[in-house]
Amino acid sequence: MRRFLAALLAVGAALPAYAEDVVVWHAWRESEEAALQQAADAWTAKTGDTVSLVAIPFGAFSSKLETAIPRGNGPDLFIAAHDNLGKWTAMDLITPLQGSVEGQRPATVDAVTWDGTRWGLPLAYKSVLLLYDPTRIAKPPATTDELLAVAREYTRDGGFGLAYQAAEPYFHAGWMHGFGGAAYGADGKVHLDSADQEAAYAFVQELTGPDGVVPAQPTAELMTRLYNDGLTPMVISGPWFLGGVERPIAAAPLPIVSATGLPARPYLGVDAVFMANGAKHPTPATSFAAFLAGPEGAELRQNVGRQAVSWAALRSDDPLLVALAEQAKTAVPMPADPDIANVFEAQARSLRRLTRGASTPALSASSAQTYYTILSKPPPPATSPVPYVVLMVIALLGLLGWNVQPLLDPNERARVWAHRWDYLWIAPAGVAMALLVVVPFLTGATVAFFAHHGGEWTFVGFRNFTDILFSRDWPITSPMSFWYTLVVTLLWTVTNLTLHVSIGVALALLLREPWVRLTGVWRALLIVPWAVPNYITALIWKGMFHAQYGAINALLGLAAGSDGPAKIDWFGSFTSSFLANLSTNTWLGFPFMMVVTLGALQSIPRELEEAAKVDGAGYFFRLRHIIWPLLRPALMPAIILGSVWTFNMFNVIYLVSAGEPDGSTEILISEAYRWAFSRGNRYGYAAAYAVLIFGVLLMYSRTANRLAGKKVL
Amino acid sequence: MSSLQMNALYKSYGSVEVLKGVDLHSESGEYLVLVGPSGCGKSTLLRCIAGLESITSGTLSIGGRVVNDVHPRDRDVAMVFQSYALYPHMTVAENMGFALRVQKRPPAEIAAAVAKAATLLDLEALLDRLPGQLSGGQRQRVAMGRAIVRSPSVFLFDEPLSNLDAALRHHMRVELKRLHRRLGTTIVHVTHDQVEALTLADRILVLNQGVVQQFGSPRELFDFPANTFVAQFIGSPSMNLLRREDVTLGVRPTDVTVGEGDVQATVDVIESMGAEALLHLLVDGQPFMAMVKEPFTAQVGDTLRLRFDVVHRFDPQTGERR
Repeated sequence: MRRFLAALLAVGAALPAYAEDVVVWHAWRESEEAALQQAADAWTAKTGDTVSLVAIPFGAFSSKLETAIPRGNGPDLFIAAHDNLGKWTAMDLITPLQGSVEGQRPATVDAVTWDGTRWGLPLAYKSVLLLYDPTRIAKPPATTDELLAVAREYTRDGGFGLAYQAAEPYFHAGWMHGFGGAAYGADGKVHLDSADQEAAYAFVQELTGPDGVVPAQPTAELMTRLYNDGLTPMVISGPWFLGGVERPIAAAPLPIVSATGLPARPYLGVDAVFMANGAKHPTPATSFAAFLAGPEGAELRQNVGRQAVSWAALRSDDPLLVALAEQAKTAVPMPADPDIANVFEAQARSLRRLTRGASTPALSASSAQTYYTILSKPPPPATSPVPYVVLMVIALLGLLGWNVQPLLDPNERARVWAHRWDYLWIAPAGVAMALLVVVPFLTGATVAFFAHHGGEWTFVGFRNFTDILFSRDWPITSPMSFWYTLVVTLLWTVTNLTLHVSIGVALALLLREPWVRLTGVWRALLIVPWAVPNYITALIWKGMFHAQYGAINALLGLAAGSDGPAKIDWFGSFTSSFLANLSTNTWLGFPFMMVVTLGALQSIPRELEEAAKVDGAGYFFRLRHIIWPLLRPALMPAIILGSVWTFNMFNVIYLVSAGEPDGSTEILISEAYRWAFSRGNRYGYAAAYAVLIFGVLLMYSRTANRLAGKKVL
Repeated sequence: MSSLQMNALYKSYGSVEVLKGVDLHSESGEYLVLVGPSGCGKSTLLRCIAGLESITSGTLSIGGRVVNDVHPRDRDVAMVFQSYALYPHMTVAENMGFALRVQKRPPAEIAAAVAKAATLLDLEALLDRLPGQLSGGQRQRVAMGRAIVRSPSVFLFDEPLSNLDAALRHHMRVELKRLHRRLGTTIVHVTHDQVEALTLADRILVLNQGVVQQFGSPRELFDFPANTFVAQFIGSPSMNLLRREDVTLGVRPTDVTVGEGDVQATVDVIESMGAEALLHLLVDGQPFMAMVKEPFTAQVGDTLRLRFDVVHRFDPQTGERR
């Protein structure tokens, strides 16, 4: 009896602990994650409640929150940067986290406040800094003039004085604020074309132009390599840069802009803890959040995680944290307005053109404003769904009637009843098709009739379609118009298929020649481009097309005999960018055609070619009149498939040229992606795009089938 | 001129010798038949004449011109393949006119030549059909037509009648003979069927394992076979060979008179074939066949007397004729 009671007690004691597990989602790694774990353990020791820490990949964090929380599958707390605050409140993802913010730095408290309400507790802040090599630069430059002078000294023999992601608005922000500009003016409106913005662009032009000190198209990996190889002594980046660095590195706040006397003020990002809507354990969660943000948590995070904590009282001797604290004095909290994404998109576009040398500061400023206006356009007015619903009902009834009508005939009914078990056999496949193909398709098509703006959905009927097809917002010849993109997509498909088929067939024919040895080896090698996942291939080719460090330019320079790599900016003009995409996709696509042709060639009897040979036909005559007509029936399905795949080849366009320059090399599918995810989350507009793509391909495949039947190719 | 000549022709695939020193001199306009068992090299020889195989050593001449290194299209030969090799995507007319299209002749000329060949082979009604819509015999005629349209110096036929049923084969044999009489072109015809050889050829080349056994007219081969191989290959039923210590005797079953003579034979099996009967006998313990007219009265196990009317003598070691 006693043992039974003891067991019951043990289970009873365990249950509440299990039930009270506070779930915390975060994207911290390494030392920061270790600090978080230690804080959780310390809190558990103190209170007896347990914490479940879930590490989530940074890239997936936002979308995971957006999908899990509304379904009740979210955490109790999550730790994230504050800049999506506006979007989260609009999407009802969070509820205000109770607790005191006394003792936190005021700037960080502002960061977690939105619309008058304080939503979370600040934990740490970060911004970019001027990182430099202390073995080569004794004293970091205090003004931009000094910065330029020092950088110029080191810009020679393949080296650059300064490396930073000049085309990213996040990294440009320091200069923008330093020249007096801002994303949102004092009146709360966006002024991307002000004189201050223009002056900042002029400075960037000085940094990145032909006499500049900054390398072109820098990625994080490139910057790390340049720094580690000693080719670049100064980098503008954040604490995350330190992870890959092998040389000594020191940090200092950004310099003062000489032209204005104002400090360069980067964006301040605040990592904070928020409570998710629908949290299952609000009370212990609030307690843990307070602990984490408070002095004990802050100390762990600073000492173990090397964070610049928002707990004001804590000081550190760590030079990195000292520099961050200094920078935080002038840093500007990143705006949490969801509209900021449009501002960034507009600035990014202008910066890309500017750093490429394709624009002037004045043009960059004005076009940024113009583009922003386009992106932040309010949704079309709502229309009544009633006529559409009526039409749908009529259509559905019609469909139903059309399917039921044969069953009016008793013979037909008997026939169907006789086959009832057959229908059962195909039911699983039918259900799977319905769930995996029909349902998503119908859902997407339905979304196309709505417009999405800042979390709100409005029914707009055919408006999205008419906007796209009649190009209401921009001229038909602009890269943003559907028709321009359609033409580019058609050009893309035709050039690709032509090359794929020519190269594939030529190689297959070559592999048949008796004088070729090791055909098995060649066949295996030639299939490799198709076998390697195309994501990886696209990234490799993109690297090869890098303007300064890419293999293609190096080889071209070698071939031309010049004493350095060729200076082609591959993604700077439509033709070269298109060619870059084309080469990559041709590399990926010819093996498929080659394999199909190899198979089809096997089925052509050798005697047919011998007969033609004896009859006097030369190689190309035989190719045209004997081999090609017998090859065509096998190639036709392959060509139809290949053209549909190429028409929708998102990976290559997105990863290689990314639509550069200025979206001119986007194809329909990647354009739809941009509308959904880069240009103000216009889901309805993007869905309409997708429906139109489907329509085009449907028409194409029906036509192609009929043409194939008539052997017209 | 369309004479055909081969001097010491050798053909090897790597280390395997397939043709061993073939000599052949044929006159213009002759109907030559290459005959032999499977694998003897006759198809290879034909393909060498066509130019589809290279010649390892020796010379090949067509019309007095050495053509060893001449491309098939320049040898002025037309080949009919065993499988006919008709282009499946072209109509009968297009198939037949293909060679002339290659030479870029004017369409009117091509149409005329095709019509002429079609009339010759009774194909006028089929000109617009595809090969897949024809019977075996029709396809064979189209293949012939394709060769005829070219008016070559030499026709090469690779087992053209092998894929036809017996009745059609007989019919086509007669047609081929008529065709040769009309066209007068040199024909080289490969077959494994000795009946075709005997009925069609002006001269026959017998091949065995790449070596020429005998080259001569059907009469010569039948009456004076050069060795035991030719003796047994030509003529049906095949010649009997009786082994003695110092000679091998060859006697055709049709050159035996039963009921007279000094040779003793016992009846083993009787094959009655309606008008005639083939007797399977034992002479000195060796199998021996004799052809007799029906009705014939004898039982299995009976002893008969045989007289050999024509006897061929062969060396027992080499098989050569003495």
